[in-house]
Formats: sequence, C-alpha cells, structure tokens
Amino acid sequence: MKRVSIIALALALAGGAAAPAFADGETIAVLTKNQTNPFFQAERVGAAKAAAAMHAKVLQYVPTQPDSIPEQMSQIDDIVTKKPDAIVMVPVDYKAMVAGVQKINAAKIPVVNVTDRSAGGDFVAFVGADDYSIAKSTAEVLLKAIGGKGDVIIIEGVRGAATAQDRLRGFKDAIAEFPNVKLVDSQPANYQRLQAMQVMENLLQSNPNVAGVMAANDAMAIGAMDALADANSKAKIVGINGTKEAVDAIKAGKMLATGDYNGFVQGCIGTEIAIRYLRHEPVPSKVTQPSVVVQASNLGPYDVPVDKRECPAWDQIQKN
Amino acid sequence: MTAASSEARAARPTLPPELIRLLLRLAAVLIVGVALSLLSGAFLTVVNLVNVLRQAALLFFMSSGLTLVVITAGLDLSVGATIGLAACIAGTAIKSTGDPWIGVAAALAVGAAVGLLNGMMVSLLRIPSFIATYGMLWVLQGVTYTFMAGATVYGFPHGFRELGNGYFFGMPIPVLVMAALLVVGTLFAQRSIWGQQITMIGANPTAARLSGVPVRRRLILVYTLSGLAAGFASLVFLARLNSAEADIGGSLTLPAIAAVLIGGTSLFGGVGTLTGTFVGTLLLTLVLNGMNLLHVEGNWQPLVTGVIIVAAVWLDLRGSRARS
Repeated sequence: MKRVSIIALALALAGGAAAPAFADGETIAVLTKNQTNPFFQAERVGAAKAAAAMHAKVLQYVPTQPDSIPEQMSQIDDIVTKKPDAIVMVPVDYKAMVAGVQKINAAKIPVVNVTDRSAGGDFVAFVGADDYSIAKSTAEVLLKAIGGKGDVIIIEGVRGAATAQDRLRGFKDAIAEFPNVKLVDSQPANYQRLQAMQVMENLLQSNPNVAGVMAANDAMAIGAMDALADANSKAKIVGINGTKEAVDAIKAGKMLATGDYNGFVQGCIGTEIAIRYLRHEPVPSKVTQPSVVVQASNLGPYDVPVDKRECPAWDQIQKN
Repeated sequence: MTAASSEARAARPTLPPELIRLLLRLAAVLIVGVALSLLSGAFLTVVNLVNVLRQAALLFFMSSGLTLVVITAGLDLSVGATIGLAACIAGTAIKSTGDPWIGVAAALAVGAAVGLLNGMMVSLLRIPSFIATYGMLWVLQGVTYTFMAGATVYGFPHGFRELGNGYFFGMPIPVLVMAALLVVGTLFAQRSIWGQQITMIGANPTAARLSGVPVRRRLILVYTLSGLAAGFASLVFLARLNSAEADIGGSLTLPAIAAVLIGGTSLFGGVGTLTGTFVGTLLLTLVLNGMNLLHVEGNWQPLVTGVIIVAAVWLDLRGSRARS
C-alpha cells in the first residue's frame, strides 16, 4: 500500500514537472516514402533538426519496400494505436493513401501533409514545392544558356508517376516559350541512372548535335552527362532535386543547373508547423517553397552536407 | 536431345542441333538488326553497334551465372539486389580506402557469400529456389538501404573506371570481358564434367543423384557462381556509372531473367546454353536501342518489350518442337 502511494507521488511529481506553461517533449511521427531517394533522407534530417531545436522527439516511419502503399497503410495502423502527438506525412501515393489519412483524422491526431499533396483528408497544413514550376524554371535556365535555339532532349521519370508528369509538363511549357528551340526527342529512363545513360547513348546516335538535355531528376542527369562526355558532346544538361552530387558536378562545370526541391527545408517546416500547432501558436495552412534553380552563381548554401544545414528561421518562411 | 533421336539423325550428316538452334537465334537478331537499319539511318554505325554491345555486356554479366541456375531448374531472384549491395559496399570501400582492389575484393566476396547462402538454402534446407532467393532479395534490400541511408557514393579513381569505360584495340573493355566469359563459361557448361553434372541435375535430379552426382555440392556451386557473377557485374556498373545508390539493382533482375529465357534456357531445367543467353541479351538490348532510335513514345515501350519477349520465347519453343 505504502509502495503504491510512493509511486503515485512520484508520478504526480513527474507529471507536474513535465507540464510547464507550454508543452515540451511532444512526439511527432514522420512518414516518408522510401530509404533510397536522397530527397527523403534530407527531409528526415530536416524534421529531426526542427524537432530537436524545439525539444520535441521524432519517430521515423519508412516503408522497407520503396513507396509501398500496404506498408505505409500498416504503419498508419501502428501509429494510430501508439497515438503520437502529431504526424508529418508524405503519402506514398497521393490518392491511395487518402484512406490512411481518414484513419488518422478519425483518431483525432493532427497531421501535416508535406511534399506530395494528398487528394483528400483533413490536414493542419500542406508544405511542398511545385514540380511543375520547378521544372519550368530549371528548363528556362537551360534554354537561355543555349542561346534560345537548337535541339533539346527530355529524359523523363517513371511514366504514370505524378512528379514525372508535372515535371514533363513544366519542361515542355518552357520549350514552347522559345520558338527556335526544337524538342527532338523525349524518352523515359524511369529516374534510373543506368537507363538514362543508355537512353542518352542511343539518342545521341540519331541526334548528334543536341544542344541541351533536361532530365527529370539528378541521377538521370548525371547518367546522361557521362554518356554526353563519352561522345564528346558539348550539350548542356540540367536535372532536378538539388542533390550534393549534382552540386559537385555544377561546381566542376560538367552540369549547368539543378532545380531545387529542397527536402531538408520541407522536413523542417512541416515538423515546425506540427509542433507550433500543438503549442496553440498560429500556423499557415499552406507553404509553397519558391522555385530556386541551383547554378554555379548561387550554389553556396547547397554545397553543405544535409546534416550540417540549419533549418530556415520561422519568420523567413513564405506563407500563403 | 536423347540418344535415340541423335542416332536417328546421324543417318544423314547434319549440324549438331545445338548449333542449329544458335544459328536460328542469331538469324532472329539479324532480322531485328536489318529491320532497324532500314528504319533508322543511325542504327548501322560502328558507334551505335559498339554501344549496343557494351549495354548488352552489363546485362550478360548478370545473366551468365543465372543461366546455370535456370539449367538446374532453379531461379535466382536476388541477382539485382546482390548487385545493389555489392556495388554499395565496394563503392564505399573504394571511397574510404582509395584502393580499388579492396573494392574489387569486397564486391566479389559479397556476391559469392550471398550466392553461397542461396545455394545452402536451396540444397541443404530444400527451400524452393524461388522462395529462398526472393527472401534473400528482401534481406539484401533491407541491408543495403540501412547501410546507405539514402546517400549516394560517387567519384572513383580513373584506373578503376577503365573497367567500365576503357577501350582496348577499339573495343570497350566490358565487351572484351563478355567475350572471354562467354568462351570460358561455354567450355565449363558444355564440356566440363561439372557442367554436364549441372545439366543432369536440371534434367532429372533423381537420376543424377543415383548416378553419383554430388547434387548438393553442385547446386551450392551454381548459386555461388550466380552470386559471384552479380558481384562482378556490380563492379562493371560502378566503373561505368561512377556512382552507387541503394536502388541501383532494383530494375535489373527481370531483364536478366528475360535474357536467359529468350536465349532458350528452359525454366524446367536441363536445357540451356550461355551462347543462347548472349543472344538473348543482344536481342533485348537491340529492342531498347531501336525504340530510342525510332522515337517510340514512352507509354508504348513496356508494351513493345513485353510482346517481343513473349514472341521470342514462343518462336524458340516452336522451332525446337518442330525439329524434334
């Protein structure tokens, strides 16, 4: 009996100590799409940094099979029973995961949607970048650099993926702005480096005088870059994602530019919104990052490994 | 292919049936090649043909070991994942030590170890190869993703990159290695006692065991060779791409299996050649090359590839039935 009351006393003390004027030590579950894309790794690091700065904890949930719908669905079942204070979520599929979001809504756990916008469900906020405008502004940098004329080639991502479609549309709309630029071919390489290299090798046979190549991600841009170098082609090349590897290639003068899709910052902002919401502070309902195209002239901040970067200050974030 | 049928055929002088099948398959490649050169002026150039051979070489390294596995009526679904892990470990080793040979040793060791484990699961634990190697695929992916944590290793020494990019007497080094592997592999599979024992295991495992073939040891050997081939392939990939990321092998396994089957190796075991697999890799690579040269729209490419795979295997089966 005595022991029970001591435990009760200890619990009461501990509870009292952990409940100051504003809450602290909240648990935020962070759901991302896969362990293979450096983008989501950067996003997880951003989330962890933002949480650490605000004395909260993150629990990372990543499907073992990349972008697996059933795995993320069962992770949500798990999360709903564990009841973290809030959730930051990249749906592996923006349509198929709506059912999962509804489970979270039913459990009344606040959730912030980052990167890929869910087709349904209730969210505290959406934080993302716009694939279409990133692709368009990256392509414009390339098209200006080749003097607004000549043959260009597009290397596409996975046919059927929303990101690949939006990026392709952005590339094509940029090309339409330059009447003297001719799109000679547009072929998929499924976001894979080897496929991009081989597709580029093949396409160079029928288009040896290509002036510019736009690839829907950096891995493909660098695969194509190697094929172009083998063939002594002077074509300029751009990619998307702002990876460290692409930044290094830009620094070495082998690649022209990469569209910034800054996963790190998305992770930061999404997590910060979740925590501020829990602490009853005002939060924006939508944050769209401005498109930045990383080139030799502005690569400074990107030449830093992700784990050494700092989250942007709250008042610097563009809210809309 | 039985003794009776070859005796019957010996009545009039003919080429060995295996050679006829090979020539027919080469004729199929030739037909595709002629069609492509009529359709696109860019096809029949030295540079393009050299490109096709180098692209085929990458596929052949994986498919070579896999051919032996399929001859034993098995399947190795883990080759792509083995390449992923071996490439990531070798790449990291080269980056951190600066010594390419450590990377070479690491990739071959990873490949052989994975193959050995596959072989032991199949022969000692008697797990169907489809399941054993499918499980292995998941295990390897998990290990690779954890090991790499979303990072990419890139930028290897020039000397090492020659393995993927270099030329020797005007021929890409991977193509020359492929030629050597094709000769040595064919001698092993067709002419050596071990090779014949492997074919016997695929044709009739009970008969093989009763006639004194050490079935378990040969099976372990076959899966180890498949892993070793994947480990070697990972080195050529590393040297060619100058980088490795965790999902490098993800999309490689099915084309490798397709090349083996197009090449006339039977999933039921006991039948198959490395020369056939070589032709299979060539045909598959030509199709992809041709679709790029002919500007085939992205949405249609998987469909075209699928139809050609099925048609090639069907024609091959029809051809061998007609002759027997």
